[in-house]
Amino acid sequence: MQPKALVLFGDGINCEDETIFALIEVGFSASLVHVTDLLNNSKCLDTCQLFIVPGGFSFADEIRSGKVLALKLKDKLLSQLTQFIDQGKFLFGICNGFQVLTSLGLLPDLSFGPHTTALARNQTGKFSNHWVKMLVNENIKSPFLKDLKTMTLPTRHGEGRLVVAPEIVSSVKQLACLRYENNFNGSFDSIAALTNKKGNVFGIMPHPEAFIRWSQHPAWTSLYKDDNDLLNKSPDGLVFFRNAFNALQ
Amino acid sequence: MPRQITNETRTRIVALSKEDISKLSLPLLAVVTPKELKKQELLALPAYWLQLVDPTTSALEQNLTPIIDILTEVLTESLLEDLWVSFTENLAPWEEKWKKAGFIQWSEKQFLPGVTDSSAHVVEEALSLQNMPLQFRVASGTIYLTSETKAFINSEYRLYHPVVERFQTHDLLSPQVNYFHFPTVLLDRTPAPETVDLNVSDEELLSISRTRILALTLDEMRAIKAYYVNSKTISERTKTKLTQWPTDAELEVIAQTWSEHCKHKIFNADISMQEIGSDNNIKNSNIKSLYKSYIQKATKELGNKRKDLLSVFKDNSGVVKWNDKFAICFKVETHNSPSALEPYGGALTGILGVNRDILGTGLGAKPIFNTDILCFAYPSEDLPKRPKLLPPQSIIEGVRQGIQDGGNNSGIPTVNGAIVFDPKYRAKPLVFCGTGGIMPLYVAGVCAYEKHTHPGDTIVMAGGRVGKDGIHGATFSSEALHEGSPVTAVQIGDPFTQKRLIDFILAARDAGLITGLTDNGAGGLSSSVGEMATITNGASINLDHVPTKYPGLAAWEMIISESQERMTLSTNNFSSLQTLAKKYNVEISAIGEFNTSGKFTVKHLDKTIVSLDLDFLHNGVPSLQLEAVWKKDKPSIKTKPSEKAMNISALLLELLAHPNICNREQVIRQYDHEVQGASVIKPLMGKNQLAACDAAVITPVLGEPTGLAISNGICPQLSSYDPYFMAQAALDEAIRNAVCVGADPKTISVLDNFCWPDPVTSSNNPDGAKYLGALVRTCQGLYDSALIMETPLISGKDSMKNDFDDGEIRLSIPPTLLISAIGKVPDINYCLSSEFKKEEDYIFLLSAGTLGLNGSVLSNILDCPDLLASIDLQKANILYQKLFESINNKLVNSAHDISDGGLLVNISESIIGSGLGANINLSALLENSSPYNRIATYFASQLALTKTLPAFLLFAEGPGQIVVTVSAKSKEQFLHHMKGQNVLLIGEVTNTNELTISTIDNKALYKWPTTALLKAWTTPLALS
Repeated sequence: MQPKALVLFGDGINCEDETIFALIEVGFSASLVHVTDLLNNSKCLDTCQLFIVPGGFSFADEIRSGKVLALKLKDKLLSQLTQFIDQGKFLFGICNGFQVLTSLGLLPDLSFGPHTTALARNQTGKFSNHWVKMLVNENIKSPFLKDLKTMTLPTRHGEGRLVVAPEIVSSVKQLACLRYENNFNGSFDSIAALTNKKGNVFGIMPHPEAFIRWSQHPAWTSLYKDDNDLLNKSPDGLVFFRNAFNALQ
Repeated sequence: MPRQITNETRTRIVALSKEDISKLSLPLLAVVTPKELKKQELLALPAYWLQLVDPTTSALEQNLTPIIDILTEVLTESLLEDLWVSFTENLAPWEEKWKKAGFIQWSEKQFLPGVTDSSAHVVEEALSLQNMPLQFRVASGTIYLTSETKAFINSEYRLYHPVVERFQTHDLLSPQVNYFHFPTVLLDRTPAPETVDLNVSDEELLSISRTRILALTLDEMRAIKAYYVNSKTISERTKTKLTQWPTDAELEVIAQTWSEHCKHKIFNADISMQEIGSDNNIKNSNIKSLYKSYIQKATKELGNKRKDLLSVFKDNSGVVKWNDKFAICFKVETHNSPSALEPYGGALTGILGVNRDILGTGLGAKPIFNTDILCFAYPSEDLPKRPKLLPPQSIIEGVRQGIQDGGNNSGIPTVNGAIVFDPKYRAKPLVFCGTGGIMPLYVAGVCAYEKHTHPGDTIVMAGGRVGKDGIHGATFSSEALHEGSPVTAVQIGDPFTQKRLIDFILAARDAGLITGLTDNGAGGLSSSVGEMATITNGASINLDHVPTKYPGLAAWEMIISESQERMTLSTNNFSSLQTLAKKYNVEISAIGEFNTSGKFTVKHLDKTIVSLDLDFLHNGVPSLQLEAVWKKDKPSIKTKPSEKAMNISALLLELLAHPNICNREQVIRQYDHEVQGASVIKPLMGKNQLAACDAAVITPVLGEPTGLAISNGICPQLSSYDPYFMAQAALDEAIRNAVCVGADPKTISVLDNFCWPDPVTSSNNPDGAKYLGALVRTCQGLYDSALIMETPLISGKDSMKNDFDDGEIRLSIPPTLLISAIGKVPDINYCLSSEFKKEEDYIFLLSAGTLGLNGSVLSNILDCPDLLASIDLQKANILYQKLFESINNKLVNSAHDISDGGLLVNISESIIGSGLGANINLSALLENSSPYNRIATYFASQLALTKTLPAFLLFAEGPGQIVVTVSAKSKEQFLHHMKGQNVLLIGEVTNTNELTISTIDNKALYKWPTTALLKAWTTPLALS
């Protein structure tokens, strides 16, 4: 059966279209759900195997990125999302979505309790859009990073510096799926992506949906000249989504 | 006692005394404080003032504990921060703590009453999500703490902006108790509508125009008077029980509609032009409407060749066909005057405004890219200082931040742009905000790029509410800035509210619920409803149904308010529209109906206060009669070049670090240029992400190989030499940039944006005729060039009063034409970036013009001989076509236009972007066919100057020049294809990590390590 993905939109989320496109590219049946509709009918989560809170500027990043959307989802949806995770279904948060899932306490893991991790303002104090290389933590064996040793993706955030409460430092290191090669935002342990203990919730600051064709890479016009075989290889973002698809097959 | 919520108190909150609770009608101040309060030079803490919406709420019954808990939950991340909460009247205990922590002063900053506070709106929504037992109004701001005495000196424009914010400093060593309270808009009772008697002298007519900020001329005031004494008007007004003379609301509606901003009176004026040739021959001519004679005419004449033009010069943006399913639309606006007064709000509302132009095209288009071109005075320049002229740095930083928030928060990528510095932009900064969009050709069975408003359709206002903000924006932009410019003309945008509005409108469009729409920009409802009324020939609105931000607005203010984030829609199914709006959290109101009455009528409190003939409103403005003079200045005497001109090595590095050339990375990185997933050619490319690209490319339809190139051309430095040439060069630059990344020149469409100093002569503007002469020459240049290049103009805008005049000094910008281009790339896989790709590639110079020194960046840093570049557009047209074909045949590895700084800057940029090197052969540049030959010959005759030849040669600038690299394998095929074109082999790419200039026998004359070029080019712009 074709796996189904739901992608959240509305309230300032803005990466929903390219996220849907990436999902369809790798074989998902994917559709959008508006925050209002999801809150009115959380049952629609039953119909999907993957739920994504994509990137964007929900509530204009006011107060703290992801904070207000998390507050909005918390009351009516937290228990449904917990159930969703317990069923082993996949939940992704990308960039602003990662901030939302962290704010909800779903990442790194519900068992750590609320307010134990946060994504704070970058060390530079600035938003930055540039491409970064990340190293895969192969100890974790995240199904979504299968066959990847490194990932190169664009970052587009001002608040991606992971901060962790002292008591869970070592546990969080165990859940760090990706680390920046160059820790530009001052993130704890250079962490760029986290998973939960069960391995089915995944949060990532850079944007996998923004690298699903080679011509999205900033050096693609050079890479084409260097490597004739380039087009036969999959861009890192596409591999990520395809891994999710394969894990559901 | 103030409540300070620390970790301890969070777990065991002390109950408030009865006394405390009874104070609840006083505002609370909540400050987000880091867990560890460390002494530092400047610490900025988010602050929120809260006031009960209903002060009579039974506060005494309430326990504050849950309220403070909710505030803490909403406003802080408890891992990092605490929330301090106190009544604003007693902050002494905080001051004690701050003093203990080592701070010596603190400041509080909040918005002035009535200024859009989008942060506060989100907090209010968040509090309501948390079931807050009491409803609070929120105001956001900042508390600054400092341990240094100097931190708050000169804080104006640095820490706060006096036009929109208030700021006060408190000394911790000798505290005072005058703290800010909640900023509340207090208006007197709603002013009653007035009637304005026009049966007065000419002087008094002008005085009415001036005191009411109508910006109407005497002719226009007389035309209005004539309308009201017309017997037909009188009899109709008697029937509708209206006063004979206009209501204040009617005058305002006419003034907005007739404003330069809305009616483009200068572009439609009758102009008598006098051209004085260099031999003092005088040629006189008359021009009826520059717009009809040149701009529109060029496009009409190209109409046969360009079947893709779907809607030009009639909607909010120009629309071209993209493929069998979609159309692309494009618009560039300016927001100069608001940005001069309040740069952040000015730029932000500029972006959001042009986004709404796209959203309001046809039945609605989705914004898919922003492109922003900015003209500033050099940040370091010793510039005139006047009370109303902001420091250049604060203008630049404010505008940059506005563009960042406008694009990023709306999810629209800022894909391309330019920053141009010239001391003359001290008069006004130019902020060109461009947006492109995509729409289906058909939606719900009807053509989507047309409007289908029918009589009987409901008039709907959607989005934000109406306030005093932005009143007189349209008329104010039609005046020079002066000391008395109204602060109500300044607004701050709310991208979040608008993003919800965009999502809603696109959903409503797809559901077939919209029959027409337009944005509420300049002139507010008066313009949006007034314009849409021409579709059905009539509209009637009732102000009682218009939601306002606060009570007390006069009727005329509600009609012309430019409060942001609003669209005006027509629908034949309001109830379904309302259901959808609720889902998208957008407020909509039915405020009237379109009809066939021939009139625009407005009701307020059951009385008709506006009833104007649409024909008079839209066609009644008398044509301006203007004088223009154009005199070609004689070339000035050649200056003797300084010693500096001999030092090529140092000059190249100085040019690379010049503000008009250096790396823009610190600006670009703060703009999201990739959201929506369509990015192909980014502002910075290459393995080190430092190759500055000539144009952007995106894929408007995800998954399809066709790309859309976006580029700009702007060269105001040429306008003082020859405005006709400026137009040629600007159009050439936009096209050339697009071709460099792979666009098909035959598919390019452009927008024209004119920003001019006041071209109407008056007692305080003696140069008006000269500027109008320059405008005529520019339009002529643009018309001729567009026809030769076969490039239709699809939309445009003009901003005609870019002067500063406070009675003491008058400053004017240089006449500035921006050309913005969109074109098709047949297959994005053939796109090119500007950096070199492979060592041993050949470097070719393609040329369709000659080079010059007038207006060059070099001429900014040393005296240069008087020599103007030129372009042969016929040749350029063929050259670009051939280059496009070569790129499509994969014969070219890189392409980069020669622009500011000339050849060596161009080569340096391609080296920096690639990390490779290059060797340039000087002798090749002196060949007969070289565009440099003219300069060489020019100087050869002047022995005294020959020594300095290379400087003037290597840094000369001119249109029509492109540097490309070609691999050895493709060289023959490339040359074969380019046969007949001016193609010059000037060097090769090397792996030596240096740039060398050598003679024909390969003797290196000059040498720069790539690291030195990189260091010079990455000199940061002194932005703040």
